[in-house]
Amino acid sequence: MNRTLPRPGDPHNRERIPFYRNVKTIAILAQLIFVLVAGAALFYLWRNVTTGLAASNLAFGFGYLDDRAGFNLGETTIPFDASNSYLRAIVVGMLNTLKVGLAGVVLCSILGVSLGVMRLSANWLLRMLSTMYVELLRNTPLAVQLIFWYYAIILAIPPRSENAVLLPGGIFLSQIGIALPWLYPSYNFDRWLPWLLAALLTLVAVYLWRRRQIARSQRPGNPWLAALAVAAVVAGGGYLAASAGATTPDDLAVEVSPSRGTGSVYIDSDGDGMRGRGEEAVPFAPVVVTIPAARLQTNSANLIESQEVVYSTFRFPLIANGEYEEAEVVFREPEEAEGLSIHFERYPSIGTLYRDENGNGEFDEGENSYVEDGFRRGYNGLGLAMNIEGFERRLVSDRSGEVRTPIFTAPQLEGDQAGGGEEAGAGGAGGLAGGLGALFQPVERTTSVIETELELPTASPLVYSEASIPRSSYFGGVRLSTPFLALLLGLAIYTSAFVAEIVRGGIQAVPLGQPEAAKALGLSGVQSFFLVVFPQALRIIIPPMISQYLNLIKNSSLAILVTFSDFFQVSNTVGNQTGQFISVYVIILIGYLGLSLIFSLLLNVVNARLTLVER
Amino acid sequence: MTTGRLPPRRYSGARGWLRANLFRGVGSSVATVLVGIVLVWATVGLLQFAFAEANWERLWVNLKLFAVFRYPVDLLWRPLVAAGVVLFAFGASSFGAEEGISRIIRGAFWQFFGLVCGLTLVAFIAGWQVAPFYLLAAGLGVLGFLAGRWLPALSQRAGLVWLVSLLAVPVLLYGIPGISGAMQVVPIRVWGGFMLTLVLTTGIVPSFPIGVALALGRRSKLPAIKYVCIGFIELIRGAPLIVWLFIANLMVPFLFNIGPDTVPSLGKAYIALTLFSSAYMAENVRGGLQSVPIGQSEAARALGLSGWQTTQLIVLPQAIRAVIPAIVGQAIGLFKDTSLVFILNLQDFFNVHNIVAQQPASIQVTGGIRLELTLFLAVTYFFFAYRMSVASRQLERLMGVGER
Repeated sequence: MNRTLPRPGDPHNRERIPFYRNVKTIAILAQLIFVLVAGAALFYLWRNVTTGLAASNLAFGFGYLDDRAGFNLGETTIPFDASNSYLRAIVVGMLNTLKVGLAGVVLCSILGVSLGVMRLSANWLLRMLSTMYVELLRNTPLAVQLIFWYYAIILAIPPRSENAVLLPGGIFLSQIGIALPWLYPSYNFDRWLPWLLAALLTLVAVYLWRRRQIARSQRPGNPWLAALAVAAVVAGGGYLAASAGATTPDDLAVEVSPSRGTGSVYIDSDGDGMRGRGEEAVPFAPVVVTIPAARLQTNSANLIESQEVVYSTFRFPLIANGEYEEAEVVFREPEEAEGLSIHFERYPSIGTLYRDENGNGEFDEGENSYVEDGFRRGYNGLGLAMNIEGFERRLVSDRSGEVRTPIFTAPQLEGDQAGGGEEAGAGGAGGLAGGLGALFQPVERTTSVIETELELPTASPLVYSEASIPRSSYFGGVRLSTPFLALLLGLAIYTSAFVAEIVRGGIQAVPLGQPEAAKALGLSGVQSFFLVVFPQALRIIIPPMISQYLNLIKNSSLAILVTFSDFFQVSNTVGNQTGQFISVYVIILIGYLGLSLIFSLLLNVVNARLTLVER
Repeated sequence: MTTGRLPPRRYSGARGWLRANLFRGVGSSVATVLVGIVLVWATVGLLQFAFAEANWERLWVNLKLFAVFRYPVDLLWRPLVAAGVVLFAFGASSFGAEEGISRIIRGAFWQFFGLVCGLTLVAFIAGWQVAPFYLLAAGLGVLGFLAGRWLPALSQRAGLVWLVSLLAVPVLLYGIPGISGAMQVVPIRVWGGFMLTLVLTTGIVPSFPIGVALALGRRSKLPAIKYVCIGFIELIRGAPLIVWLFIANLMVPFLFNIGPDTVPSLGKAYIALTLFSSAYMAENVRGGLQSVPIGQSEAARALGLSGWQTTQLIVLPQAIRAVIPAIVGQAIGLFKDTSLVFILNLQDFFNVHNIVAQQPASIQVTGGIRLELTLFLAVTYFFFAYRMSVASRQLERLMGVGER
């Protein structure tokens, strides 16, 4: 070692380092080479793609987004039909993804936190149950779970909406989906809006004031309580004031055709009493439809429900108990139905035809079918009519201003064969039809004969829309399809297992001294958990929880398994239709990366706020 | 004068256990009763479904589809021998230098050996033609175990044993090109079922070096390398796997300017799964790198080790040791995620159930057989994934990770 080391601070004595051994040069060179290699690879791939595209006559671009989509979507949060553009279809898909994502986030948090707490319970059974739940769900693929929920739901509930399970609170459940009552902002919502803004301002103002006051008084307290109370009073009082001052717009009009079962609420700007072209529809307007006398028709049929043949059953559109004064169900051709009786499963809409073979005056098993030539047959194809008097239904127009009622026909007047005039003409046609009833049905669909009274009650700022089943689908309320439910359930339950583990880990990470100290200070178990342990655990829980939420939203791309129209599925359909796969994939990637970015920003904000300020 | 309180109650004996764990106060007792009722109801429902209502016949008839899909019947011995080779490697490596890890591998070996023995029994009772080869697979396992026990030369080179057996498996499954007869080529498109699921899960192996490279790149001080790696990792992690599978299906032919069917779907899926997994692997390894105290690399530099040597000899071994449990966790994730290859029309274990459910004979079963099939899928996936998560937990305890 006779080489002298360069002495620092002595510029003349320093040995020159050759450039290829200079760390700085090497760094720059290495990066240059790396960038060149990566660039060359990218260029090679890009050239392959462009030549491939040119060969297959596909131009890269986004121009097609404005074209007509030409397909319908099963689930829409904003109005959409086949005439809208591809872009709008993709937006609808994104909104669906967000809808199932947000609902899933709420549901999985509730489930996950309860299960995570349960895993630490002193109760052995609870502990075991939640451990089993977590292990089972974490160790099976989400795809399997989604399929399971989808078929478990489909098989468990009635296939037809006419036969929906009616749950308390006006909830309908069938394979079409679930329908719940819902509150919608009506045309008078604007009157309440200033009050809502005022409530928001008071919330902020009172919160700030209380916070300062609490800080000054140096006593414990929660500024949110007073702020929320005052804001609630302002909003509630404002709602009452807005309802009291609510009016119906002067030219608000409604037309309903019971014979077609449709109608709409609109602004009658030219005052002719008819919905003309360009007259604006009014969404979420309450309407009371009253029909003094009318008739519903149906035929008995054999259906397959829950894997079993249901013989000789009939379904009128669902009429609830309070909606009519009098209703009776008769055979349209009594001669054909000689000896048959009617058994109601849900009066007056759903029932079974039977022949009272044992004469006990009641429907017994097997009486709704008979055996002919070795085959079991039911009494199907028999015409039935429900004569209904004083039908009254409160409806709320949907977001496109439409209302739907069951399809009514003109009432059967007594002695109508002999009667004259317009009404009897129509009724007579019905009577004449006799055995050819089905053929003559178009004649019965004369609109003028069904007397209809329509009323437009003044709407409060929020209107309560109840679901009904006018035909084979739901109307009103909020409707969630079966695929949506299966996806929501699958995602929420799957993610809740991961959330439960995070919560358990977070709680366990709180030093044991904390609950011990709380206990020593005289806090009860519940107090110690909610005031001491859980708030500290939240600091550890929230960051990984946010990435679980992002996972949930990304996993919603498995919607394709349950035929739910999410962002990925809709975009993929667009790709299939236009052949513009590459630009569609660019859109898909931008969409998901955007979501990821939002979540990581959120995560950074939360992390910054949660980091302990070290003293 | 202070009032005294009684000491906390102690519970002992069976009654004490019940009091302490199930009926400790009103709330606990109510919860016990309610949960008990729900559990009994669910168990009865499940048993009733499994033994009274379910139709397992369609599943039994289609077991071969679920196992290997359309792999030729007269060559079925090859996947079985491949399974035996893997079992051999398990057995041979269960007496390695490190007793802790060896014990974990031994546990896994016995469990899989038990499974193979059970299947052998079923095969002989049902009279399957390939039953002797089940026996052969079990025998290979025993052989490996004995070799590991008595041949230290073998058990000290567990890595080599695994390398050889992992190379033997694809040869056994695919065959040797240009040869007819016993080792004739079985085209990849007839692969499927659980075999395909396991083949795809091996994507975790190549994803490991890629992930380590990405993690090191992400921590590099050179901005060009650092940002390219960050970009790659975040891009991959930003979109769901299903999107990447779709993109791989469509883009691989375009990117490499080859015909749409030059690369089989399995290859495309393998590429997508591996790259996807490596991005997550990179994040895991990065966590491990961050957990190595800075003093370690400083000490290494002070001892005169170069940057590469420091990383390779000091930092990386410690980092990887710390993340082994996380890597096993990721293998579980990949095993479950392989079910998404239905996107590429691959008939993996999950997707076979669609085919079976749509067979005419299955449709004729009232109510369909979807629930039976999903139950079967869930149980099978659970068995393997849970086994891996048990191993992951054992490793965690062994490494002392997560201990406070």
